[in-house]
Amino acid sequence: MTIENPASSPEPSSMTAPGLVRRLAVHAMMILLSVLSIFPIYWMIVTSLRPANEIFSTALWPASPTLENYAFVLTRIPMLQMLLNTAVVAAFTAGLQVVTGMLAAYALVRWRMRLSGVVHGLIALSWLVPFQVTMIPNYVLASQLGLLDTLTGLIIPNAAHAFAVLMLYHGMRSFPSEILEAARIDGARSWKILWQIVVPNMGAPIASLSIIAFISAWNEYFWPLLLSRKPENSVVQIGLQMFMTQEGNLWGPLMAAACLASLPILVVYLVLQRHVIESFMKSGIR
Amino acid sequence: MLRRTSLKLLTALAGSLLVPFGALADMAATIDKPVTITFYNYNLASASAGADATKELIAGFEKKFPNVKVEPIAVPSNEIMSRVQADIVAGRQPDVAQLVFRDLIYLATDLGANALEDMVKPAELKDHLAGMIPNGLELGKVDGKTYGLAYTFSTPIMFYNADLFRQAGLDPDQPPKTWADVAAAAKAINEKTGKNGFFPGAYGPADGTFVYQSIVMSNGGKVRDGNKLTFADSNAAEAVKMLHDMVVSGAHAKIDPASASDTFAGGNMGMFLYTSALLSSLKKSAAGKFDLRLAAMPSFGSKPTAPTNSGSALFVFSKDPLKQRASYELLKYLTSREAYTIITSKIGYLPLRLDIVDDPNYLGGWVKENPMFRANLEQLNRLTANMAFPGANYRQVEKMMMDAVREAVFGNGDPIAVLKTAQEQAQDLMP
Amino acid sequence: MTSFQAEFAPSKAAAATPMRAARLREPFSIAPWIYLAPTLALLMIWTYVPLVEAFKLSFYQWNMLPTSPQRYVGLKNYERLIALPEMRNALWNTLYYTLGLFPMSVIIPLFVAIWTQDLTGRARKIYRALIFVPMIVAPVVAAILWRWLLNEDQGIVTLGLDWLGFDRIGFLTDPRYALATLTWITGWKLIGFSTLLFSAANAGINSAYIEAARIDGASRWGIIRDIRLPLLSPTILLLSMMTILFGAQWSFAYIRVLTDGGPLKSTTNIFYLLYQYGFETLSAGWSSAAGMIAFAGFGLLAAGCMWLTKRFAVYDN
Repeated sequence: MTIENPASSPEPSSMTAPGLVRRLAVHAMMILLSVLSIFPIYWMIVTSLRPANEIFSTALWPASPTLENYAFVLTRIPMLQMLLNTAVVAAFTAGLQVVTGMLAAYALVRWRMRLSGVVHGLIALSWLVPFQVTMIPNYVLASQLGLLDTLTGLIIPNAAHAFAVLMLYHGMRSFPSEILEAARIDGARSWKILWQIVVPNMGAPIASLSIIAFISAWNEYFWPLLLSRKPENSVVQIGLQMFMTQEGNLWGPLMAAACLASLPILVVYLVLQRHVIESFMKSGIR
Repeated sequence: MLRRTSLKLLTALAGSLLVPFGALADMAATIDKPVTITFYNYNLASASAGADATKELIAGFEKKFPNVKVEPIAVPSNEIMSRVQADIVAGRQPDVAQLVFRDLIYLATDLGANALEDMVKPAELKDHLAGMIPNGLELGKVDGKTYGLAYTFSTPIMFYNADLFRQAGLDPDQPPKTWADVAAAAKAINEKTGKNGFFPGAYGPADGTFVYQSIVMSNGGKVRDGNKLTFADSNAAEAVKMLHDMVVSGAHAKIDPASASDTFAGGNMGMFLYTSALLSSLKKSAAGKFDLRLAAMPSFGSKPTAPTNSGSALFVFSKDPLKQRASYELLKYLTSREAYTIITSKIGYLPLRLDIVDDPNYLGGWVKENPMFRANLEQLNRLTANMAFPGANYRQVEKMMMDAVREAVFGNGDPIAVLKTAQEQAQDLMP
Repeated sequence: MTSFQAEFAPSKAAAATPMRAARLREPFSIAPWIYLAPTLALLMIWTYVPLVEAFKLSFYQWNMLPTSPQRYVGLKNYERLIALPEMRNALWNTLYYTLGLFPMSVIIPLFVAIWTQDLTGRARKIYRALIFVPMIVAPVVAAILWRWLLNEDQGIVTLGLDWLGFDRIGFLTDPRYALATLTWITGWKLIGFSTLLFSAANAGINSAYIEAARIDGASRWGIIRDIRLPLLSPTILLLSMMTILFGAQWSFAYIRVLTDGGPLKSTTNIFYLLYQYGFETLSAGWSSAAGMIAFAGFGLLAAGCMWLTKRFAVYDN
């Protein structure tokens, strides 16, 4: 981030005394919110470093920190394989949701069809169908298609999502129509307009959607639970569940596994978050 | 549309392949060609010692029967039932499954589990069951036939924190024997140390109904009699009222049922009545922190206790004669002396064959090293069958009962009236 | 500020007109259907076909097994579910969850996005990243972490309260607090999600408008009120709608892990109730009927929300 977006630069009034007070108040609020957000996560990390007989201690830092919980996680379950599986599933799910969502949103924004209200409604309503209703029929279908215990089976049913379509639709509605008009008058084909003009200017919504879709695919539990039959073909959420046994939770390993499972998402967020902001500076139109 | 037709086709196809229940084809006498059977198991879906022991058992079985390949399917215990059902719906007939007792009747009447008496020749079955605890075998029976062969299980046991006993001026070598003792000791602990006195693992979603049923049955009560619910009737309701009174007096803690075992493990509770299977994990958290001890479950005055069990049974679903034989051999192997030696010493469940307990070839050495386990073994003599509920709505009935128990124990209303109302409502859902 | 608003509004309306007109004139074309095909096909196969099947099954009693018969029972499954004694309680709690989530799913994130926009680059990035962090933990982990922190005997929050001189609070065991606790935990995971959406939308506001307003002498609050808020309104409405429609579902994981609807049924909500009496059973009829009730109920709410969105959203055309 080298160039500052004019809209985001501190406004002149902030140099004055009331401005300073206001800024301090904002900082105080943000620090409070940040602490509330981060503390439980801190606790998760600290607990993952505690030895078994220190698990229930309330000290802010373990007396004798250890990595034994991580060693336990990595040796007892195929954690690395699960992380890899989850990354593949989440990346493909997010990617496909962006593509299918982009195509559908474009169709709804670009053309005014007689049925567009119905289509819009159908897409939006699909979001409200409780998962439990579709679970068993989808399981039977996946079984017939030979998708049980495969990563493909985890990806395909989630390849399109109402949220993706709606979010990109909102993003595109805010897109300056003069540009679309101009391109259309120039005789550009719809396909070309989409990829050369619309997509490059949709950086922020695409990045936000990718983050959200990636995370929800990463945290998906019920469908993988149903579909996978062996731990090594499974995802990390199932791995976490393996530390919650009939005889109580294995706290240390569970927290270590949770840390391992959260880390990749944080990286994805940090990479894409930057993109959310930067995409506005790159696109020359604003 | 395509899907719907294919689903129908599949349903019809699956229907024609299934032999109607009861009229099973004869199980094969030997396993003369290679066969693969599926084994739905919840121990494998955890990262605890249970998974290792199960893998060891399966490997041992495959070595003994080289023609049989066991395909393990790991599903967490609270989801395994839905998975078995989903696979039956999808036309993938499971062969052997480890399932819990609450679903017993539904498994027998609706899901088509095989009764061992229908599948195995009487002499052969008798031969294998000899030496197993009769009360244990009773657990898997519906209308006199064995649908589930008791496999891994445990009974409620009183864990106590001897340090808190000492701090409260109590003698840790004389743990409470009756509920009156528990109430007094718990009250003393609560008043003198400020810590929680007592809590039973009887109210959470994870523990089902077995601790609650043990308490009720120890007072001569029952949760149902045939198709009539009786959990609000005299003895059963009295037991719950006793717990309620302990809450009022401060002896019974008022804490989150889901974290009761953590509160005990953290050294903040005097007595904790829960599954004996918790022993190894509690030992780990208590190490170097407090003096953990075990006692038998408390009784109502001089009435003998009626410990019931949590845990699982093995069910066979195979319809193919060869697979039935392979499945039955797996059942036999998993409930053999060798297997129970592994199950008890490595996972901590109870052995259903008491003749191995003092046999140095089996558990003898281990029991000597773990004298704590004796209290638990001793309870096996009084093992009482946990009751599953019948009918299509059995899970709702069970839930209504447990909700009412929680409300009766922790709420401010009259506990007996609360149970009565719930019993009337739930009765409508019984067959 | 009104003068600016007056200037701003008509220009927007004028900009919107040609687009609308151009779209109206367009003849039927196969092209949009090709673009829509992947989404519609996937939704049909994996959502709508099962839904139609479930609608049919909701009038039957059936345990889903190929070998057992389906028995037609008419509306009985529905009647039973609607007559559940906890239904009214669950509806009230659902309303509580929804209203209680609003501050955390809409209001706080909205102001975080707006306020942090004024901060210099690094601080803004750090705050937004920290506030986002709760989203990265799996719901079930979030639930047990909070259960741990709030434990009445050994939770760090209890210790903190002790230190401040307060009595211990049964966050999850006292019916007076449990619902608020669960609402907080649900909201805690949501703040980051909403902040992300608002930040994206806020960053997308055409800075020319802000510049123009500033040159006109608009105050900071004036800019927020007359430019930012109207232009953020689609996102505000989207998130409000999501809170109304999915609040009950979002809290589901936490209810399931933490309280199972208790203590004394104080935390159950409509979705959880349907889950327990419908989906958790092995009966296709009950679970389908429960699914239909949830779908129809929230569908009606959604229709209402969409109508409101159409009326009130402002687009920067």
